[in-house]
This record gives sequence, C-alpha cells and structure tokens, in this order.
Amino acid sequence: MRKLSLAFLACAATLLTSCEYVRLLRPSVLKQLNPRVVRLVNELPEVDQPNEELVARLFAHGGLGHAQRDGDGVYRARIRVPAGQYIWEPAIIVMERGGELELDFSNHDPFSYHAALLPNNGSRELLMLPAHKRGTARMRLDGPGYYFFGCPVANHAGRGMLGLIIVSGDAPATAKLDRPKQPRPKRVEAIDPKRTE
Amino acid sequence: MKKLIVLLALAACRTYPDLPVTEKSQSMRELNAHMRGTAPAVAQNVTAQRIQNARAEPQDWLTYYGAYDGQRYSALDQITRENITRLRPAWQFEFGPIGVIPNPATYSFEAAPIVVDGVMYVSGWDGYVWALDAANGDLLWQYQHAIPLDTPMCCGNVNRGVAVANGRVFFATQNGHLVALDATNGKVAWQTGFADVRAGESATAAPLVVKNLVIAGASGGEYGVRGHLDAFDMATGNRVWRRYTIPAPGEPGSETWSGDSWERGGGTTWITGTYDPELDLVFWGTGNPGPLFDDTPRPGTNLYTDSVLAIDPDDGTIRWHYQFTPADVWDYDGVNENILFEQDGRRLLAHFDRNGYLFILDRTNGQLVRVTRFGEQVTWGDIDASGRVTTRIKPTREGVTICPGPAGAKEWPHAAYSPRTGLLYAPTIDACATFRLVPQQFREGMFYLAGEADVRQHEQSGQVKAIDPATGRQVWSWKGKHPMVASVLATGGDLVFTGEPSGHFNAYDARTGELLWQYQTGNGIHSNPVSYSVGGKQYIAVPTGWGGWVEGFAPEMLGAPRGTSLVVFALP
Repeated sequence: MRKLSLAFLACAATLLTSCEYVRLLRPSVLKQLNPRVVRLVNELPEVDQPNEELVARLFAHGGLGHAQRDGDGVYRARIRVPAGQYIWEPAIIVMERGGELELDFSNHDPFSYHAALLPNNGSRELLMLPAHKRGTARMRLDGPGYYFFGCPVANHAGRGMLGLIIVSGDAPATAKLDRPKQPRPKRVEAIDPKRTE
Repeated sequence: MKKLIVLLALAACRTYPDLPVTEKSQSMRELNAHMRGTAPAVAQNVTAQRIQNARAEPQDWLTYYGAYDGQRYSALDQITRENITRLRPAWQFEFGPIGVIPNPATYSFEAAPIVVDGVMYVSGWDGYVWALDAANGDLLWQYQHAIPLDTPMCCGNVNRGVAVANGRVFFATQNGHLVALDATNGKVAWQTGFADVRAGESATAAPLVVKNLVIAGASGGEYGVRGHLDAFDMATGNRVWRRYTIPAPGEPGSETWSGDSWERGGGTTWITGTYDPELDLVFWGTGNPGPLFDDTPRPGTNLYTDSVLAIDPDDGTIRWHYQFTPADVWDYDGVNENILFEQDGRRLLAHFDRNGYLFILDRTNGQLVRVTRFGEQVTWGDIDASGRVTTRIKPTREGVTICPGPAGAKEWPHAAYSPRTGLLYAPTIDACATFRLVPQQFREGMFYLAGEADVRQHEQSGQVKAIDPATGRQVWSWKGKHPMVASVLATGGDLVFTGEPSGHFNAYDARTGELLWQYQTGNGIHSNPVSYSVGGKQYIAVPTGWGGWVEGFAPEMLGAPRGTSLVVFALP
C-alpha cells in the first residue's frame, strides 16, 4: 500500500512538473502575486456571471507558446482551437527575433468554422478553418514588437479569439548605430511631487 | 484528491486528434479580385533629373511638395475662379481597415499622393501603400507592411507619403524601416531598419529622393531620442550617411548641452525637407528638445533642435543652420516646411514656425532677411527684427497660460507659394494652452515630457492667411471655425485649396481670399491635397480621414467622424 502511495505521488509529481503547475510555486513567482489580479479572479464571477468566462478569456486565454526555429531558418508553432471555447491555444506565440514564421492551425471546434487573420509584411494573410480542418500560414515579420492576430468570423474576436505574436529582441543594428546605452523601464516608480520640490 | 490531480493534469496536458493539413492561407490582397495586380511601368522613367525639372511637367506631382522647392504649387490652370463652381467629385478611393491596429484612436490619412503619367502612388496609416489609376481610382496594387501594436507613435498611426524614382516606390514604415517597392507590382526590392522602436523612434515622413539617394527622417522627439537623418543608396538600400541633429561632445554645437543631456536631446526629423539643386543643399527642419517642457536638465540653447539645417546631400555635412526657438519648452518643433523662392535676385527660404513667426532666410548662407509675426496670440516670447529672442513665459508647476499652444501657430500641414501672385498661403491655428511642469525621470521608450500642455480650456480657431514675403504683411485671411490643419495647394488658375476639420474642402480666390467653392467630404481633413492631369483633364486630389494628435491641435473635434477616403475632383 505504501509503495502504491509513493508511486501515485511520483506519478502525480511528474504530471504536475510536466504541466508546469509546480513552477507556479517558485519563490520568484509567489512574490509577484499581485493582490489586484487575485481580486480580479475572485470578483469576476460576481461582476458578470454570464460572461465570466468570456471576460477572463479576453485577458488571459489560451496560454503562451514558443515558435521553434527549424533547420530551414523558419520559425514554426502549432495553434489549436478547442471545442466550444472561442480561444486560440496558445494565444500568444513568441519568436526570439524577426523573420519567417509558419503557424499550423487546427480547428477542433464542432460549433463553428473559424478563420485566422494574420499579420505579414506585404499583406495580411487569411486562413479559413472549417470544423475539424487544419491549415498553415506563412508570414514575415520585422519585430521587435507585438502583432495582433484574430478570428474575423462573426464576433469571435470579441468572444476571445484574439492572439498576439511577440517578436522579442532589439531594433536592427542598422537602426541603432552608435546611440549610447540608455536606462530602460523595468518598474518606474512614481515621483512624489513634494519630495522633488 | 486523486480525481482532482488527474483532472488538473488532463486540463493542463490536453491532447487533440491529429488532422491532415488541407488548408493554406491566402494573401488578403489576392482576395480582392477587383485589384489589377500591376501598374504600368511609368516610374521607370522617373529620374532625379526629372524630379529636378518637375515644374516642366505640371501634369504630374513627382515629389512630396510637387517640386523640390516646397512651393506646393501646380501650374495647371484648367480649373479657374470662373468655372470652380462646376467642380465635382470624379472618383473616390475608400479603404476601411479591419483587425486590431496600432494607435486605433489616432490613425489618420495624411499623405501627399504622388502622380506619374496617370498612376497615383499613395500611402496610408498602418503600413499601407496603394497604386491607383489616377483617372478613375481603380486599385492597381496594394502593399501593407505589418506594424507592431506597440510601435511608439506619439501622435498618430499616420504616414505622409512615398517617394518615386527609378522604377521604385520608397516609403518609411511606422516601425522604422525604409522599404523600396517595385513600382509595377508592389513587391519588396529592399528594406532596411533606420529608426529604433525600442528607443521610442518611429517613422511617418515621406522620404526625399536626391541624386542617387533616398533621404529619410525619423520621429520620436517625445521619447528623449537623439534625432537623426539617414541617406541610403537608392539602388541597394545601403546606408551612405547618418547625420545626428544633436552634436556629441567635441562636435560643433555641443557647447549648447550640458553633461550627457545630448544623448536624449530630441531634434527629430519628422517632416520632409526641400532641396536646391544649384546650391546642392537639402533644407531639413528639426523637432523639439528633450525633455519637452522642462529645460533644467539641458541648460543651453540646445542645438540643433527647432532649427533648419542646410545639409550637403553627398555626405550629410551641416553647411549652415538657423535655430528658430532656442531652449524650447513649449513643443515648438522647427520641422515645418522650408519653401524656396527667389525675390529681387536673392535665393530665399520661407519658414512659418510653430512659435508664431515667419522667417525669411538667405538660403545661400542662412542669414536672416526678415522675421515677422503671423500668429494671432504669441505670448511665450518675442523675436525682434534682428532675430534676437526674448523669452517671456515658461511652463510652471502650477500651470500657466501660454500662446500659441503646443501645436504652435501653425502645425506641420504645409503652406504654399504661388509664383503668379508672389504670396505665401499658410494654414494657421489660433489657440493657447495651460502649460504645466510635471517632474519625471527618463526611461528609454517612455514619454520624456516632464510636463503637459492642455488646450481644452482655451478657445480654438484657425485661418488661411495670405502673406507677402517681401514685407511679412498679411494680404488677406479667411477665418475658420476650427484650427486649419490641412496643407494648402496653390494653382495656376489663381486658386488656393485647403481642407477643414469639419470635412469641408475649400477653394479660395488666391488674390482676394474669397471663398469660391466648398464640398463636404464627410471626414475631417489633415492631409496634403495635390493637383495633376490625365488626358488633358485637371484633377484635385485630397486624402480625408480625421485623426492624429487631435487633442493637441483641435480637442473640440476629438469626436468628429474618422474616415479613410481619398476624394478626387474634376470639372464635368
């Protein structure tokens, strides 16, 4: 029985670790727990019960994924549409720097067809996604910065089908040239006008 | 407990059945079957020499101001004072954006269309460039550069135009890339980054083609950047030079800065310059110093902010400069156009500054010829006939009324000069603001204002003013209900055109200022009307689409209709 319990605990720990819940227990994460966010999560059901899920989804939905750079230099990532939720999963795709990105979408939602309207140098791309279909879109982005993508069908974007492609890194060297390094914002403290009188 | 853990694990590690790939994305521009896809190869024949002689082909509008001299004058004279009442819309190009865009509340259609042999090239907000049939508005091709949502554009998701030469269309994207497109199909020939969005820079100005170069200015003066002007080889996109507008320690002018304040000195180059081919000098204006409203971190006159720079296009050397507002604390950018004209055998330059004064300079050496006040209310200080500046009122902690407001007595929309009447025509703003200091630390990529200027409690209006550059005296003026913030166009038919925030597009008698004709376009106008002809018919084109930094120049029009329409007029 004890062996069984240990095996169960080990299995649970493995599952938890692989699913990243455990990483929430890191001290660096815990110390960032923001009371305002906690209050938001607790109060949303009271504020707008029928739309609780929708409101939450618009701000924290679908999760984050990293595009991987393949041998051909193209960044690739997969995005799914789960059934009946109106979200992209993940909803945020991170590229470590600008370049070509190929997104692979599959629609597992039997409730609706969807589409992805995507940013691209030259022209936006449109990928139609009928139920239980999968397709790809190729785009080129400069970065740094973040770009919108979304579902242009009906009111799907308003119900949560908004996404971001975040291109990390700095502006190109041709833009920066020789400007001296400047302080960048991490957390800007408000200035007390009285203190600086 | 076991059930809960399993449920949590399943929720976090959801798996999906694998599906075969059957769908492929399509380009939105290919999903407009009405778009032709190609344009006639007319831009192949546009050389720097042809732009230099733009006056010889009034049927075209070959460069941002129509010609290198910045006069915004078209010699076309089919439309006259006598027949203007018969002017009607000939065609309209409308483009409504879809999807989330950067600065959604501030996008605005500000461009000056370029016209070459019946083909129009025009840029819009959010990275758009279109090639249109200038006779009927048919869409020939379209390009959209993807613009990040977080691009630090202080005052609007806007673009003021393209440059066309040697078969290419050049434009600066809002996120700071200079792009060369094939003028026949809108495909990218080359692109290069030249403005640092992480530092708070962006780009909104039309590039200027000079000899074998494309010269591009950048924006970002509100973010404490160090302004610069960049020149690239037209064929390859390789940089030929960069000219910083704020001198580094040891360089001429560095004595006007203290400590390391020059690193955040501002002086951006966000309005296109003019060019005198005989003197071989480019005249380019510079913007405000940083921080915007507080000069305590930067004691000195802060060269070369709020100045015109006469630049050698071959290597970017500054041959001379003239500073309009030393030690600026009112946001009086010196970027407004520098109109080149001749009078009594002298090569002159006219500049309506935001600080409320009209400067006439000898453009061979930058010497002041005449300075006269054109602003209605100017209380920040005085400039005497010799050009000496006396500061009267600076922003305070408590807040103080100062005139003109932060958009100045004239915003960037351009004045015109008619060689037929010898008069300058300027769109002006009559407004004051409450200027207040607000202490602030510098952080890269954040606003570096150290204050604010609130226009709301003050009355706003505007005028179109005709001024004789020989004396600085006003010949006529027309008073509008709102600030006048669209460029003026002067024509050979002795007409003057401009638009209003209300959406009215107006034609005036160039000699008397009488309002002769008016058309309600439906959207506020904050752009550059141009004139051209195709098949012997004269057209007047005006992009409409209210937006930009409305709270700075016309807060009473913040709720006015927005739009994205290019309206083109002709006689029946």
